[in-house]
Amino acid sequence: MPHAETVAGRDSGKSRSLKHLGGVWVGKTIAGLTRITGRGGTTLPGRTALKFAPDILSYLGRQLAHGSLVVTGTNGKTTTAHLLTGILREAGYLCVHNQSGSNLSWGVVSSLISASTWGASLPANIGVMEVDEGAFPFVAGELQPRGAVVTNIYRDQLDRFGEIDYIQKKIKSGLDALPAESFQVLNADDPSLAGLPGDRSGTTWYYGLELELPPDRFQNTARDIKSCPRCHHRLHYDRVYFAHLGHYRCPRCDFSRPEPDVVLVDRSVREDGQTVLKLRLQGDPLELAYPLLGTYNLYNALAAVTCARALNVPLEAITAALAAATPSFGRMERFTMEGRTLVMALVKNPVGANEVLRTLMERRGQIHLLIAINDKIADGTDISWLWDVDFEQLASSGERLAPVVVSGQRAWDMAVRLKYAGIDPGSIITAENSRQAILRALELTPPGEILFIMPTYTAMFDLRRTLNAMGVGRPYWEGSANG
Amino acid sequence: MAEINIYHLYPEHLNLYGDRGNIIALCRRAGWHGLPFNLVPVHPGDRIDFTRCDLLFMGGGQDYEQKMVAGDLKERRGELLDAVEKGMVLLAICGSYQLLGHYYTTSQGERIPGLGILDLYTEAGRKRMIGNIVTRSTLWDPPRTLAGFENHAGRTYLGSSVKPLGEVIYGHGNNGEDKTEGAVYNNVIGTYLHGALLPKNPWLTDYLLQKAVAYRNQQFAFKTLDESMELQAHRAAVQLTRSPWHKLRSSRF
Repeated sequence: MPHAETVAGRDSGKSRSLKHLGGVWVGKTIAGLTRITGRGGTTLPGRTALKFAPDILSYLGRQLAHGSLVVTGTNGKTTTAHLLTGILREAGYLCVHNQSGSNLSWGVVSSLISASTWGASLPANIGVMEVDEGAFPFVAGELQPRGAVVTNIYRDQLDRFGEIDYIQKKIKSGLDALPAESFQVLNADDPSLAGLPGDRSGTTWYYGLELELPPDRFQNTARDIKSCPRCHHRLHYDRVYFAHLGHYRCPRCDFSRPEPDVVLVDRSVREDGQTVLKLRLQGDPLELAYPLLGTYNLYNALAAVTCARALNVPLEAITAALAAATPSFGRMERFTMEGRTLVMALVKNPVGANEVLRTLMERRGQIHLLIAINDKIADGTDISWLWDVDFEQLASSGERLAPVVVSGQRAWDMAVRLKYAGIDPGSIITAENSRQAILRALELTPPGEILFIMPTYTAMFDLRRTLNAMGVGRPYWEGSANG
Repeated sequence: MAEINIYHLYPEHLNLYGDRGNIIALCRRAGWHGLPFNLVPVHPGDRIDFTRCDLLFMGGGQDYEQKMVAGDLKERRGELLDAVEKGMVLLAICGSYQLLGHYYTTSQGERIPGLGILDLYTEAGRKRMIGNIVTRSTLWDPPRTLAGFENHAGRTYLGSSVKPLGEVIYGHGNNGEDKTEGAVYNNVIGTYLHGALLPKNPWLTDYLLQKAVAYRNQQFAFKTLDESMELQAHRAAVQLTRSPWHKLRSSRF
């Protein structure tokens, strides 16, 4: 059984009332109905249940004997939560976890309800909740988690949040809403997080990279924070990993990168192709195999490992779980179709999109690409971020780039973006719908090759539905990987 | 042979909502027209050479960054105004547009002076005006539409010596009341439109390039470029706002 002690004061749902039972019943019924209609809704069940029993989240959360962990931040929260869940399960915990990116407050409620029995009890003893930055204060206040992980703060969905300062304030008020004895895990390489703990009484754990990486070609764009959060002087960077993440210090005041507790010191590739990471956990070395690609996935691994360490999870469980890690929902997820490999890489902001482009350009051979851009609320209704993505890099790959297929509600905006990036308009193919986009892209991808699909959030759901109808992949409400 | 100098103010600091797309559009189209150009990035502390600058672009920034620009430009106000009077081309988006006015009144009632280049003032509003926007602009005869995305809390009111850039067909515009959007004075254009603005409205890109050539009495024959893709994107953006679902969909935040 788990190695962490039971959190005091957690009961096993003794104070259940008719209201809570009703909330769960309403939620489960609606979830069942939306599933029958073929659209696995993750919003409506939670929304309705919250109306019925506003404290349903705190009620369900109290049933978790070992409490819950909350993961937030702009990028990487899905993968980090996914890795952390893997580690905790490996360590013997019964873990409840919100999948398929349903991370607004009602999404968190929906997933707890769907995990709960009709008797409103949770067959789990620990929770890992991925939470949107905007919903973080509410969820932290209701769930009273044992710990919170914040991955980073980037420019994302500014139409919804106004400006980046606002996101920072949300994160701060979420951290302030944590119980006094809880811990927080923060990315030391992100200057917008390093200043946040302030005078909180709980323990703060920092993680960061300390290794040599090839210089970031994209580093001059999409960097949101360049000035010191204390005195606003321009920060000096000794090293930039990507966007504004790196080793920074303020030349004017005493603000600088905090000394991390968990550090990645080396990444190498073994003969069998497996990537091996060398970490230092509070000074002690740890070596582990890790199959996920991309610099951003290094940060995700560090965040999950640091949180697991804060929970006193044994090292064997950490190494075993990371070695078996699979991509989470839409994060470089792989499918096979008619002899081609399809790689689905969700894009939602410039930093994430640049990292996906960087990862696919590091490969050899032809680049086959399908980009699908929607502008619904879940995607962000403002698509101007496309202009902050370095599609110019694609254009510079010349002959290697096969014709690019674009689709989605804003397909033409995407086509214009590619044209202005320097790609020949004759090599930009606009498809009317998901089905045509997939068929056209498959036609352009020879068997044995990889087709990269870069969709926004709701465009990914459209594509998955279409792929499901073509017999590829599992229904999306079943989540992915270890679902 | 004609040649123009495009100055990009604080590319690292004034780049909210993909505004660098405007610089990409200006440079690409100048290239496709065969018009030689120099792109000069201006960083904080650099001096803009107003004797060389033909076209100045100022993107939107967050509050702090906007204040920094205000501080730097205030000292050069005389030179800037002089260039504007002579016909220098200036495109200012969102926060930079507000900065060109007389003042900005914050929600606490504090009045922050602007550069006073454009006859307008801005007041902070309670609710942000966010969403797709379409306007009709009489910069051209017959008028042409401009499509973009607005995201601002400030309400801007125009004085008598500037003209609006467009009339709002869909969206909020300067203040959500008088149906005006943006402002034009000589060759200065201020607007709330992000998107980025220029790529989807190529006629405005060409308008700015033409004015920049004419500013120093140069001659250049612009080509007729294939802009079917840009036109499709423009039409799709306009069409989107006509959908009966659109208002419902975008009014939720």
